[in-house]
Amino acid sequence: MTAGTALRAALAVETLKLRRSTVARVATALLVLLVPLGSVGMVALARSPQAVGPTAAKLADYAAGDLATTHLLVCGQVLSVAALAAGGFFVAWSFGRELESGTAGALFGLAVPRGTVALAKCLVALAWITSCVVLAVAVTTAASALVAGVSGDSFPTWAGVRNAVAAGLLGGGLALPFAWVATVTRSQLGTVGALVGMVALTQIVVLLGGGTWFPYAAPSLWAGMGGADAAAAVGPPHLMLAAAMAPLGAAAVVNAWRRLTNV
Amino acid sequence: MTAPALQLDDVSHTFDGRAALDRLTLTVLPGRVTALIGLNGAGKTTALRALTGRLRPTYGVARILGHDPAGMPVDTARRFGHVVDTPLVYPELTVTENLRCAARLHGLARHAAAAAADAAVGRMGLDPWRHTRAGALSMGNRQRLGISGATLHRPTALILDEPTSALDPQGVVLVRELVRGLADDGAAVLVSSHHLDEVARVADEIVVLHGGRDVGRLEPGGTDLEQRFFAMVLDADTRAADSRKAGSGSLT
Repeated sequence: MTAGTALRAALAVETLKLRRSTVARVATALLVLLVPLGSVGMVALARSPQAVGPTAAKLADYAAGDLATTHLLVCGQVLSVAALAAGGFFVAWSFGRELESGTAGALFGLAVPRGTVALAKCLVALAWITSCVVLAVAVTTAASALVAGVSGDSFPTWAGVRNAVAAGLLGGGLALPFAWVATVTRSQLGTVGALVGMVALTQIVVLLGGGTWFPYAAPSLWAGMGGADAAAAVGPPHLMLAAAMAPLGAAAVVNAWRRLTNV
Repeated sequence: MTAPALQLDDVSHTFDGRAALDRLTLTVLPGRVTALIGLNGAGKTTALRALTGRLRPTYGVARILGHDPAGMPVDTARRFGHVVDTPLVYPELTVTENLRCAARLHGLARHAAAAAADAAVGRMGLDPWRHTRAGALSMGNRQRLGISGATLHRPTALILDEPTSALDPQGVVLVRELVRGLADDGAAVLVSSHHLDEVARVADEIVVLHGGRDVGRLEPGGTDLEQRFFAMVLDADTRAADSRKAGSGSLT
């Protein structure tokens, strides 16, 4: 059995587990349906006469400008956080439950090494997050086109599509280090706790003005969550640092699974 | 001389300062079924975890088919199977899906895995639950499924921890036939069990573990296995107490 054959076997097993996973099913539905609904809905609310007081102030950025571009702007902003949350929950389940339930012990002494199983889990998680992000942006684009067709506005721009996909993928990639957290803590809830803690820490870092070099803040800031000035301050080096978290997380968790003991 | 397929050599391990294994040496030869029996906390599962590579012992060496279990070559791993504590069973997958996954992870190609899974379903009487999710199975059928997954590639070295603990009489017979069949084909099988009657039927050799130590061997035959087991454990306790007394006496 070559390394390639072993990886193919592990990918087949992990893909089947993903397809049967309740966590993945719920997260897929939320990302693919709720994000487009929220994107189109928030822009509609921002431009409706019902948006007054604090709501109008919060949604002021979405009240003007090209309709389709704004839909995709909101979509990218929501996805930059939602993809991280969905991916984090999924890797907490995928890695943490093996250690919590004890099936990690049954993965010892197999023809497919544990490191290969961990790599397959990471690749399947990344492929799933990518599919969800692309689908969420596609549904948003379709919904936006429908709204634009009805209202006579312009069609969604490809730049907006590209940015929304990139924001979602960067956010989703940030979930992989939590696979390592799940392995070290051996706890699904502990991993979710770490994910919540990271979101809170990101808020604090952004409030202190240090978000551009903080990988967990950069994608959201770039997507415009902190306003146009904060978005302009995020450049390719900041985004590359955020993008590097996925391969770094995968390398860390594969190494941890290779060295796993006392299971 | 035949090389042992499963081997613990002078293995010791402690958990939080408490000795779980104390210089345990154990070998299982090809074609033999060795049973490991002992009271709760005797060290049976710890010994099996060390042997499967899931635990790095504080001292000593474990070997599976001549290799370190923590870093077995693929060709060796393909000839090894085990169920210790939790089996390789995922509740969200059906019986057939679980078996196909186990077969793939044991190194079988896709078509061979499907054929091995089908054969295992029939062999272990799981046909009525073929498309049932494992999470909906009874504990006994889940145990049959776990053992099926660990043996569908016909391993030449097999470790089973309490394989009949949740099984009905029919399941016990099926596992006995499976274990004896594999051993007759040349596999080395190490089984831990509390079921002394079952051990007497299936094992070629019985090792008694007590307080993490090998305290002796019992012949599988005869009707008084339970009596002989307790006598051996009592004798081990008496000798340990005498040894402690002698130790404290020499200090005073």
